[in-house]
Parts: sequence; C-alpha cells; structure tokens
Amino acid sequence: MRLERKPGRAIPGQKLAAQSEAASGIDGVKLKGGGDPAAFEQDKASNKRGGRALRKRLPTFAASLVLLGSLLAGCGGETGLAESGGAPAPQGDVTLVIGAYSVVKDSVQDIIPLFQQKWREETGQTVVFEESYEASGTQARAIVGGFEADVTLLSLEGDIDKLTKAGLVDKTWKNKPEGGMITRSVAVIGTREGNPLGIRSFADLAKPGVKVLYPNPKTSGGAQWDINAIYGAGLKESERETGAKDPAFAKAFLQSVHANIESLDKSGRASMAAFEYGVGDALVTYENELVARIHQGAKYGVVVPDDTILIENPAAVVDENVDKHGTRDVAEAFLDFLWSEQAQRVFAENGFRPTDPAVYAEFQADYPEPPGLFDIDYLGGWSEVREKLYSKRGVWYEVLAGVS
Amino acid sequence: MQTSWLRHKGWTYGFRTTVLLYFVVLIVLPIAGVYAYAFTEGWMPFWESIADPIAWKAVLLTLKLALIATLVNVLIGTMIAWVLVRYRFHGRAVLNSLVDLPFALPTAVGGLMILLLLGPNSWIGGIAEKLGFTIVFHQPAIVIAMVFVTFPFVIRAIQPLLEEMDASAEEASYTLGASRAATFFRVILPQIAPGIVGGAMLAFSRALAEFGAVVLVAGNIPAKTLTASVFIYGEVESDNNLGAAAVSVLLLTLSLLILWFINRVQRRGGRA
Repeated sequence: MRLERKPGRAIPGQKLAAQSEAASGIDGVKLKGGGDPAAFEQDKASNKRGGRALRKRLPTFAASLVLLGSLLAGCGGETGLAESGGAPAPQGDVTLVIGAYSVVKDSVQDIIPLFQQKWREETGQTVVFEESYEASGTQARAIVGGFEADVTLLSLEGDIDKLTKAGLVDKTWKNKPEGGMITRSVAVIGTREGNPLGIRSFADLAKPGVKVLYPNPKTSGGAQWDINAIYGAGLKESERETGAKDPAFAKAFLQSVHANIESLDKSGRASMAAFEYGVGDALVTYENELVARIHQGAKYGVVVPDDTILIENPAAVVDENVDKHGTRDVAEAFLDFLWSEQAQRVFAENGFRPTDPAVYAEFQADYPEPPGLFDIDYLGGWSEVREKLYSKRGVWYEVLAGVS
Repeated sequence: MQTSWLRHKGWTYGFRTTVLLYFVVLIVLPIAGVYAYAFTEGWMPFWESIADPIAWKAVLLTLKLALIATLVNVLIGTMIAWVLVRYRFHGRAVLNSLVDLPFALPTAVGGLMILLLLGPNSWIGGIAEKLGFTIVFHQPAIVIAMVFVTFPFVIRAIQPLLEEMDASAEEASYTLGASRAATFFRVILPQIAPGIVGGAMLAFSRALAEFGAVVLVAGNIPAKTLTASVFIYGEVESDNNLGAAAVSVLLLTLSLLILWFINRVQRRGGRA
C-alpha cells in the first residue's frame, strides 16, 4: 500500500479519529468530522466540496454496498456449500464425501483408487470422492456443525460418540467387524537415533534430564491415547506391586513424567514437527505416526514399552447424511471395503496395525505385541476415562495445574 | 453534467447507515456475542472459569510478554522509521516495502521460521544452548513471535509524522545551541509521540491475541509458556466454550481498558 503523507492515515482501520485529532495539532491540518463514524471517508473527501465530494464518495458507497452484500451472501453461502454434497451427481456417477482425521490421509488416498476400481467393476458406476482431513475432534465438530460427510474415519471412539449424540450416526455403528474399528496401533516412545538415553519404558521418561514431548489432550483429542498410555502404565505398575490398580499411584506416575515435559503441543503433528526441529529427547506418539515418518527417511528409534495401550481407530457411515444424499449403498460398501484384505494391507503398509487377523498375521514381525498391552477397558472404558481423567477438574487438569 | 438525484441527501444517510451497519455486523455483534455467551450461565460459572489458576496465569503471562514485545517494537520500530525517513541509501525502497511483510505471511509460517532459525539445530539456537538457555519453546520465543507479527505497527504509525515534520523547529533548536540528544527528546520526540503511542497500542492488542505463531514456538505449558490465546483454543477444542468465552472476556476487557486509558492520556497530552 502507498503511504499518503497525511497524519492519521498510516494504517487503515486503526484508531483514526483519535490519531488524526492528536496529529492535527502538530501540522495544523484540520481534518473534518473527527468523531463521526464516517470520518474515514470524510477525511478522504475533506478538501473537496459539494457535488465533487459526493461524486468522490459514490464509488466508495457502491463498494460498501457490494461488500455488505457479499457479507450477507457469505452467511447464506455456508448452507449452500453444505448442501452441494447433496446435489444430484451426474448421471451414472456418485459422489462420496469423506470426513477423516489427518493421520489416516495417506492410507485413505491409497485405498480410494482400489475402491473406485472395484465399484466400477461391480456396478459400472464411477465414484467421485470429496475428502476432508482435519484433527479428529475438529472433524467431528465440523460434521456435527453441518459438514455433510457420508463416511467418517476418526482417531477415537469418543469422537464418533459426538456424532451419535448429535443423532447423525446410528448407535448400531459398532455392529461391524472388530466392533467398528478399522485400524489399531499402540502408543510408543520415539527417541533420537540409536536411543542414546536408553529409554525402555514410560517410567524412563521420568528420569532427570529427559526432555519429553507429547500433545495436550485439551487441544488434541487424539492425544488422550498418549496420556491414557502413561496413566495406564502407572496402573499396571501399581497392580504388579500391590496386586490392585491404584489410581493415586498412576496419577503420581503421570505427574513424574509430566515434570519432564518440554512442550505440550497443539497436536500429534505439532509434536512430531517440534521433535524434527531438534526439540526434546523423546516423544510419546502413535506407532503409526512414527513408522510413517521413518518410512519417509527420518532416523528415529521406536521404543514399544512393555506396558502400553492398544489404540483403536473407528470408522462409520454418517447415517443422516447418506440418507439425505441417497448414497447409503456406496457408503456402506466403502466402509466395508476398509476391512477388506486389500485395504487392511494398505493400512499395514502405512504403519497401522491391521484389525483383520489374517493381514495382521502377515505383518506380525513388524508389529510385535508388547507383553503388558492393555486396552481402554483396562482403564474402565471411554466414559469412565472421560469422567475421571479429562473432565473439568479431572486427573489431567490436576496434573496440568500442578495440584497434587 | 450532474443530475439532481445524485445530489440527493439520501446518499449521505444511506452511506452512513451502510457504514454503521457494517461496523455493527462485523465488529460489535461478534464481540457483544462473546460477552453475552460468557454470562449465559450466570456469574458463578464465569468466575470459576476466571479463577482457574491455569486461566489467569495464562492471561498474566500474555500481558507480560505482550508488554515486552511492545516495548521492543517501540524502540526498534522508532529507530527503523527514523532510518527509513531520514536516510537515503540504496535499497531503502525495498526495505520500506519489506516492513509490511509480516502482515502478509500467515503467522503460522512465521512461527515455523522461528523454529527453523532459532531451534536447537540452528546455529543461533546452538549458541544460546551453549550459553545455557533455550529460545524455542520458552518465553523468549513467544516474545520473538509477538514482535514479528506486530512489527509494522509502530513503524507505520511514526513514518508519516516524521515525514510531515517541520524542519524549522529542529533547525531552530540547533541554532539555539541545543545538543542532538536534547533536540531529539524535546523537539522531535513530542511530535512523533502520538504515533509511537498509537502504534504501540495496536501492537500490544495484536500481541495479546496472537495465536498462529505462538502456538508453534511456545511449549504451551501452564504457568510457564501457555498464553491466553492458546488456552482459549484448548478450551474450545475440549468443548468448554464457556471457559473459552470467559477468558476471552477477561482479555477483551483488559485490552479495552488499556486502549481507553491510553487514548485518554494521549488526548490530555495533546491538549496541554
């Protein structure tokens, strides 16, 4: 922008009236209409008079109208956009909208052509995919807020629950193979190449001088898996020592690890980025995230702790949207295809643990099962975990705030 | 060539109504909405959200760091504006256009650059590490991010004042035997002061709200490196909109009070 040699107009939108008043005392230029809301425009026209000023204002006036119009149109446009998914597809074609969490992007994009080919062979129809990838919680909120996804892949069950609560996904979504879970993974510790600090378990993260990274479950729902893993490892430890699960011990265990936190990142991706820029000695993340990075050439150590959590990622058809779009058949077929051998193999190649037993057997050497592996039910199931760990004054809050 | 309908008074009223409507829809409604939302469940839940140590410590930390960032920008910004206006050198025009770039860059990219250039693997970060302190993921990085995104404000507010300044006052000061320092502080500074204050106000409010760059370079650890904007984001992400609104109200009210106060002081100063 060209700067005009007039005080008070340095930056449009700043406190013009106030500044021009203050400045006018200095150079003696009196600007018209200091306190008027239209001062900005009057100031522009202040050295013109009458009709000339009006003519000068007219284009601005028209521009304001156009802007206002577009603003109002923008409000209406939102619903218009959301409905575009429901527009009848060109003859013979069908459009499927995928709303997924970001980590699964590479796998989904590998699976889509396989499904398109299969569907064309079976029905002759071409499936056009519209894909959206966001953090799991954000994606769930977007779908609740009106993003009309037909099929959704999210990182944790809690996010599908948001959709069932909103009445978008039928409560029977778990009546699918493997309880509706398409992939598995485990929470692992990523270390620098060669594991120089000799980290073997979550307990090692509490050792003095170890700088730890993990995302904050407050900003990233997927990070709940990481915290659940550490908390659960604490429960396991107490169970071994005293014979019973001791929540107080587990909380102290989590606190001891948290004392070494270097950065509580916004998301798993942000943690990974920080780690890549050289911050921290160890990060807690999903096995698939780390394996995917290592496939791309990054040199990190992957430590699968003996005690860690089994991560399960669900997928579901968004019933309300498929009924609205008339895409139930193809959506169901796509969802079922995610459990097919072909798709499960793609997931396995992208670092996930396949839920299909046959495909898992094939990749078992890459994905050994840790001896102390536990699942979410060991912590009492999702509703219990949400209540005890992540509620407003739950365990995680107390760890964050330093309440013991 | 003018037709009479073009002179009609209705245009002026229409124009004013449009501007006011625009202002109300774009600025007043969303902000009033935040206030209204924060109190939907009454005073107690609002108070509880504010009294949360994580929340108020985040606000306090943000105020502190934004103040530091503003002071840095006032000092450096005044110097840069001075150099850009008073000196003639090759590349001045280029530098002048570069000043606005932080506005054009998504702040997250700015944050990423800070990570890249000042991180432990960079040579600046390496030197800092040897001296015993880390920049990224600690408070210095937040201040740097805030300085970066608010960089143009002070410069752009002072430049026009410096350009417009009457040289005769300065010359008179020298003629009367005043030193360079005395001339600067007693003749030049009072003239550019409104610009400094105005620019600083904008920089401060913008720094308070900065999110994109800060979330990347801060460790986001409560009471240490968690700023208010990141805290608010966390509350929204964990479906606690009320907590987010309450802290936003606190932040908005503080900025409003500060802006209003400085505005008053400035006006009084201008009259005196």
